[in-house]
Amino acid sequence: MGISRDSRHKRAHTGAKRAQIRKKRKFELGRQPANTKIGAKRVHTVRVRGGNIKFRALRLDTGNFAWGSESSTRKARIIKVVYNASNNELVRTNTLVKGAIVEIDAAPFRQWYEAHYAVAIGRKTKKDTADDTEDSLSKKRSNHVQRKVDARKEASKVEPALVESFATGRVLARIASRPGQSGRCDGYILEGKELEFYNRRLKARK
Amino acid sequence: MDIQTHKAFQTQVGIFQNPKVLGKKKTTVKRWYKEVGLGFKTPREAIEGHYIDKKCPFTSSRVSIRGRILSGVVVSVGKMERTIVIRREYLHYISKYNRYEKRHKNLSAHMSPCFIGVETGDVVTVGQCRPLSKTVRFNVLRVQKKIVKGAKSFSKF
Repeated sequence: MGISRDSRHKRAHTGAKRAQIRKKRKFELGRQPANTKIGAKRVHTVRVRGGNIKFRALRLDTGNFAWGSESSTRKARIIKVVYNASNNELVRTNTLVKGAIVEIDAAPFRQWYEAHYAVAIGRKTKKDTADDTEDSLSKKRSNHVQRKVDARKEASKVEPALVESFATGRVLARIASRPGQSGRCDGYILEGKELEFYNRRLKARK
Repeated sequence: MDIQTHKAFQTQVGIFQNPKVLGKKKTTVKRWYKEVGLGFKTPREAIEGHYIDKKCPFTSSRVSIRGRILSGVVVSVGKMERTIVIRREYLHYISKYNRYEKRHKNLSAHMSPCFIGVETGDVVTVGQCRPLSKTVRFNVLRVQKKIVKGAKSFSKF
């Protein structure tokens, strides 16, 4: 492979050029990057030092994303990479890395929200309501469940920026796992100041 | 003063900042800080400030101070982002002549933004931490201002 992670090839703090004293050792090895793309799941396993296993995700299409303020985590489809602070190339090629901002499918979270609070989210007109939402919004609930739902009414407020993105069916999330190491693409939905920050960046870009 | 000057959103890792606010609550960002131990006081600016520094020993859970605690004189400030150069002088004994000679070593240390107004000549205490960059293995813990013998000290303004 040839990629090594030693510091013996670099100049010393004083600027002195260091002579090569030994050959490359196996414990200094580095591997090719995963460059995880969006697509049907393809994960390779790698045997690493100590006999342990790393899961190198080469293609992923779903991830486990958390909606922090509602404490609700759902498996959602990843649609595309929208922003990467380090490299625009990774946005163009839709590469999944930790810290990248992606668009995910909002449907699992909308379903959870409407079942939990019995309030519609991100639906502008009556025409938008599909058959399944009518079921979750207006289905028959037992007395006990209905009382619980009514008690949650005050807590059902969601910030307007998030509601807007629910209307489009896509929500911005940030990847918090390392797909090339764990084989998974998990993260959290952007909210509050962070969402405002990235929305501004995206708008400036357009 | 905006702290979001980078391309990625600056935040303390692991601190959830978007809990649901029911009713009127003051909108102050939750800040995490810790005591580094060994009797070093966490500066007020670290607790009350808004800076984000993942290498600050007081506001980052990712660096711990362990190993050696050294001190030296500040030689260079502001040339590297958030790091300073310290000079440590010592005497080396030459046995043939029964005498000493002066030697010095320079050391790069990471300085958290909670230390404001550090100038060259100040005495600084640094603590060893894990490697933070190619040459930085120390983190500034305490600053003692330079003692000027005369009462009048010339400042640029």
